[in-house]
Amino acid sequence: MPVDAEKEISRLWRALHSAQDSTIKTFYQWRNAAVGLFPNANPSEIALKGWEAMAHDLGKSYFPRLSFSKGEEAFLRQVAGLYVNTWQGYGAVVKVEKGSNPMEAFIKWERCPWPSFAKDFAAPLKEDVAGCDLVLQITLEMINTFMGTNFKIETQKAIPRGEGVCLRRLYKP
Amino acid sequence: MGELFKWDYSQYPGYKKYPHLFKPIQLGKLTIPNRIKYAATEDNLNDKDGFITDADVAYIRERAKGVVGGICCMQGVYMDEKRQGQGYVGQAACWDDKYIPGLKRLADAIHEERAVASCQLMHCGRVGAVEVAYCHGPSPVPQRLRIFRPVQVMTKDDIKRCVDQHVVAAERLCKAGFDIVEISGIVGYLVSNFISSYTNKRTDEYGGDIRGRMRMVVELIQAVKKAIGDRPLGIRLCSDELLDDVRGNTPEESMISYQMAEEAGVDYMSVTLGWQESIYPVISRDIPQGNWLFLAERAKKHIKIPVQMAYRLFDPAIPNKAIGDGILDFWEMCRPMIADPHMPKKALEGREDEIRPCVACNVCLARLFRDAPMTCYINPVCAHDHDPKFHIAPAEMKKKVIIIGAGAAGLECAWVAAERGHEVHVYDKLTEVGGTLLEARKAPYGDEELYYQINFAKAKSDKAGVQFHLGIEVTPELIDEEMPDTVVLAVGPKYIKGTAPGFDKPHVVGVLDVLAGKAKVGENIVVWGNKKPGVGVALYIAKQKKKVTVVGKNKDFAIDINPSFRWRYNAYLRQNGVTVYNDCDIAEITDNSVTAVTYDGYFIPIKADTVVCTERVPNQDLKNAVKELGVEVFEIGDMVIPRNLSSAVHDGYKVGLRI
Repeated sequence: MPVDAEKEISRLWRALHSAQDSTIKTFYQWRNAAVGLFPNANPSEIALKGWEAMAHDLGKSYFPRLSFSKGEEAFLRQVAGLYVNTWQGYGAVVKVEKGSNPMEAFIKWERCPWPSFAKDFAAPLKEDVAGCDLVLQITLEMINTFMGTNFKIETQKAIPRGEGVCLRRLYKP
Repeated sequence: MGELFKWDYSQYPGYKKYPHLFKPIQLGKLTIPNRIKYAATEDNLNDKDGFITDADVAYIRERAKGVVGGICCMQGVYMDEKRQGQGYVGQAACWDDKYIPGLKRLADAIHEERAVASCQLMHCGRVGAVEVAYCHGPSPVPQRLRIFRPVQVMTKDDIKRCVDQHVVAAERLCKAGFDIVEISGIVGYLVSNFISSYTNKRTDEYGGDIRGRMRMVVELIQAVKKAIGDRPLGIRLCSDELLDDVRGNTPEESMISYQMAEEAGVDYMSVTLGWQESIYPVISRDIPQGNWLFLAERAKKHIKIPVQMAYRLFDPAIPNKAIGDGILDFWEMCRPMIADPHMPKKALEGREDEIRPCVACNVCLARLFRDAPMTCYINPVCAHDHDPKFHIAPAEMKKKVIIIGAGAAGLECAWVAAERGHEVHVYDKLTEVGGTLLEARKAPYGDEELYYQINFAKAKSDKAGVQFHLGIEVTPELIDEEMPDTVVLAVGPKYIKGTAPGFDKPHVVGVLDVLAGKAKVGENIVVWGNKKPGVGVALYIAKQKKKVTVVGKNKDFAIDINPSFRWRYNAYLRQNGVTVYNDCDIAEITDNSVTAVTYDGYFIPIKADTVVCTERVPNQDLKNAVKELGVEVFEIGDMVIPRNLSSAVHDGYKVGLRI
């Protein structure tokens, strides 16, 4: 039974993309369902509440992997790496770039599926930026509380704003 | 206080063999006749409101017998009505006088065995609040594990109230008759939360440097000490939190905490290490016995009060030597006395071959963390001490019993049945006892300790008069000739090969042959089966610097290993470069490859020059033939359903009682 490796990889590739799409679609399906259920509520507030719940769960999932054993610089890079891994799981093309000092790193999203789905489900794009920001702020605050650090993250560019990439600066003030 | 009970050990063989274990020591004003202590261990045997049960009294009584005059410490009590300090569903409570009668039953049971009754105050802090929404802690640092409750930061009033609750509880325990009071500050409980730089981020006087972080503990020690009068006060504190990855205390800070506790008035120090949130192994079987004694030695260099320690000190020779060498004063035990409550007593009486050995599997602790009552992997009577149905009693009718199979199940059944008065014959086609464990013990990371159970059961069998017939393959004709009343089938599992093309090739070998060194393996090995036999042989081969891939049908890896130990195997597989495909089967084997297929139909090509089969099925070969003979037949162990050592021992014991 010779295995056709190309065929197997392409099947897995399609399955992965399908799973990634389902994850994001499910979020917007629930968002629109909740908006329909509460017509007097602000749809963006509903969406952000959803992002907040995701953030708390995501932050908890990071705890077992956090390690300060190699010092603060390495820890900052580890945190950046966790964000990269998370968004790669959604299908984004994202990487970490060094900053101007060891206590600064840039996380650069060159491609991200979330804004496309926001469009497909008629959700405002600014809500997508706000949602991502909220997830990053909440999870980083959880990490800071857990490890006793004081890292900050700020958004410098955003794909939904037409800036080509999402660029976020992770740093210790 | 002097000496509570007179003990003279000089006539016992253990006194000569372990002279340092059986000499007296002073704890405060109390003289303890030996250096042995059953350390406080939760057992989840008490009722949901914290009242002591018959089961707990019987459990403690057996351990009190075991310490032969030493210290027997009951489990830690929670002390707040709101139950934020409660860490276990069956934990004893002490927040009201109504608990005193139950606690007195425990103290009385210990005293009736002429042992020293110790109790423990245990606020579980950030790992507490099992029955309520929020736990208490010095700072809002979330726990690493999801199972714990959110942390509610303690105000100064909360801290004062908490200290008062400890004091009142200690007074109640003294009224109940306990001779020693101990404060628990281990594994992530409240006291350790205040001491640790990981969990104490306070900026008031209860936080800051180690001296600030110790403030609550010092106040607690001083207050409890004042309340309990002449009774010795001890404390269990971390000598190394093993939390360096989350900015926990340094060993130097831990030693400062020891010195401050001593200055505050404790009469002894119980040296502990690690937290529930630590990522390092501390007490599992892969850690060599005696590994942590250097921490006791370090403590001895920093404090003058007696130093106690547990943690992988299973062999009495190790603590005996450590005490003789002056690096330890007291031998503490939890798990060895869960496995065999009379362990030190047997060492004293020269019956060490009758000690049922703890295999450091941690299933006891895993059960507690999952709100289940204490149980032991290897001791079927554990936590059933109160139940006569679990105790060996003479058989109403003596029978001739043939047991086929001298593995763990067969041997366990043999000695129990023989002690009950039956005439027991054990047959095995092998020339030595042990069954599957003869090979399984060769797996790395401590599995040789599994075989100690065989040594124990063989010794018990020999003393009970079991007759062994080794090197004999049992046939229905042989059974017919022997005319037994009862046959116990303990023949072990049948190891199988798969049905996919290629399983008949010569490089497809069996797990037992590999572990026994009878089958050679190449450089790229696929292990078929992802349960414990597969894990063990995968690591055994990987340690030889060969590339190993495990392909197993179970959705989760090592499903038959308890979660409190499974994480160790996961780590070792990663360290040894073993690839694991769960939820997969072998679709084809060629001369140099294996094709694995996932449960949902994807194919994975794997380079392989050897395939090791570890899958097992029930072995029913003799069953029907024996049943036709018209004798009473029992089936035990892996021949029924392939499981693990624990199931074999528990099956064997229970059937031994039933015959």
